Amino acid sequence: MVDFSIILAGFGDVFTPFNLLFVVFGVVLGQFVGAVPGIGPVMAMAIAIPFTFGLDPLPAIAFLVGVNKGGLVGGAVPAILMNTPGTPDAAATAMDGYPLTQQGKPLKATKMALFSSITGDTFSDIVLITVAAPLAVLALKMGPVEIVALMIFAFSIISGLMGESLIKGVIAAALGLMISFIGTDPEHFTPRLIFGFWDLFDGLALPSVAIGMLAISEILRRMAEGRGTEGQGILVPDTGNPEDRRVSWVEYWACRYTMLRGATIGTILGALPGIGSTAAAFISYAMTKAASKEQESFGKGNLHGIAATESANSAVVGANMIPLLTLGIPGSVTAALIISAFMIHGMQPGPLLFQNQGRLVYGLFGAMIMANFINLWVGQAGLRLWVKVVSAPKAVIFSSALLLCFVGVSMATNGLFGVTVMLIFAVFGLLMHSFGYSMVIFIIAFFLGPQFEKSLSQAIALLNGNLLNIYTSPVAVALLVLSGVSVFWFLSKRTNEEADTTNLGVPDGETLDQKNP
Amino acid sequence: MSNMTDRISGAFFLVFGLAMFFLVIPEYVEDPQGGNLSPKTMPNIVAWVLAICGGFLALRPTNHAAPDARFFLKTTAYVAILGGAIYAMSLVGFLYVAPVLALVLMLMIGERRPLWLGVGVVLMPAAIWFLVTQLLERALPG
Repeated sequence: MVDFSIILAGFGDVFTPFNLLFVVFGVVLGQFVGAVPGIGPVMAMAIAIPFTFGLDPLPAIAFLVGVNKGGLVGGAVPAILMNTPGTPDAAATAMDGYPLTQQGKPLKATKMALFSSITGDTFSDIVLITVAAPLAVLALKMGPVEIVALMIFAFSIISGLMGESLIKGVIAAALGLMISFIGTDPEHFTPRLIFGFWDLFDGLALPSVAIGMLAISEILRRMAEGRGTEGQGILVPDTGNPEDRRVSWVEYWACRYTMLRGATIGTILGALPGIGSTAAAFISYAMTKAASKEQESFGKGNLHGIAATESANSAVVGANMIPLLTLGIPGSVTAALIISAFMIHGMQPGPLLFQNQGRLVYGLFGAMIMANFINLWVGQAGLRLWVKVVSAPKAVIFSSALLLCFVGVSMATNGLFGVTVMLIFAVFGLLMHSFGYSMVIFIIAFFLGPQFEKSLSQAIALLNGNLLNIYTSPVAVALLVLSGVSVFWFLSKRTNEEADTTNLGVPDGETLDQKNP
Repeated sequence: MSNMTDRISGAFFLVFGLAMFFLVIPEYVEDPQGGNLSPKTMPNIVAWVLAICGGFLALRPTNHAAPDARFFLKTTAYVAILGGAIYAMSLVGFLYVAPVLALVLMLMIGERRPLWLGVGVVLMPAAIWFLVTQLLERALPG
């Protein structure tokens, strides 16, 4: 276990003005981009990662965590004011938030979203801080054989839960793996699939692939779909009654069980790879509505509806870090971006992280808690400003974002070759999205590919060259059986079905059609 | 005929997987002796997974419908502009290309207000230049 003095030192590191400043920057930027429909925290994080190269690891990671957390709060603003969620997570928020706006209570709705978001987020952060270290100790007992089995299990779950069908999920994962094989192979160090381009000898740079697929392709899609036209000014109605501009303690306290339920759902789903915040929000909303005695008021401006969705989608953020920090497996695209930032800053996510860089991990935990408080303050102060941001001209935002992507990838890859690769993967991502393949699965597989192959090579050595000797590891056998069961289950349930609200193949930042669960 | 989308993409991955296995991997992956895992093993497995899943998808498609041709034409135009911008940056550098690129994109999106065009064409590239070269002390692309 990590020494208590290291835990204290880690938490103490956050309280330097410099580190706190970057948390504030991150939260402000996150709320800003969350409030702009079409950008979103994932795109912002992808763009921001190369700009953190010059920073120390803690302020860099704290900044990115701030962007992510702030983005979830900001995403609720356009959902409530315009019925246009800034992030998919906020789609369910619009169902009760927008009716409140129509009733002249937009500030009450946005404040409820803010308070419940921070409540859910803090809950899951506490769970993360409590369980991550013990889980990491357990994970340390796993060898390459178990890690291979665990990755196969993760692939089977992610492929089944994301996207339109299991088959398409498997294809996306296989494509991600195939692309990850470009470069030297991890055992013999011979070049593979580089087609004479020696710039590819070290493989494709994650920033090029991630920014191309997540940011550029999304911007291209929005521009082509004509969503990037001039921002329209919005008229925010107001009853003039001060009671309609705030959330009283009584109203907040009345939603305590709703928020607790949402936070619990978000934490559980966030800890599992592949599910995510959109599903958590809709499930929480559906359960809250089912448990309510006033079901007919949902969809007409019930504060419980906002509390249910916002507490759940924000609780996913902290819980997402559990598999990331303990196993090194990103459960979502946000986690994949954070993990890439970790590696850029010399941190190797996984169980050894707590032993080798415990102080940094607890610094990160401290930054997460501080980001919640700052989210509250910035949210309180900035809500009126974000209302203006909602109607910012998309042409300026998209062209600026594209320029930032060019510069960021060029800095990350030291030249225009990486920028060209970024554009190629933007087209690739656009085609994947157009044909219904999940980019999120692709990127997670691309990220895990080298580790998977390395662990498989080590596992074969440990099993004396015969994979059938795997019976010597009951944990690996159990995980493989679970993988088989989950594949069978997903095949029987999902093949040829339309994706429902748990479909996370839709990239973050995309507006979802709101469904009434 | 919305399920034609999946039939087409499924057939593509069937052909792609087979082409990888029979043509590309033998040609572009070396096969050194010894070791636990040949560099070809994983690519070959993944190629077969792609081919099998592609074939299965072509036979049992979902109802996914791809966007219309107009969407692809517009994205092709944007991609061509970005590709041209990258090439131009390799010749004259980011500082000269960025304002032109921003202007072209903003006009294509539909922005006509001079103030916002000024923000996108002058202010944002200048802010990026200041952030990258002065604050971060890094080089701009090109």
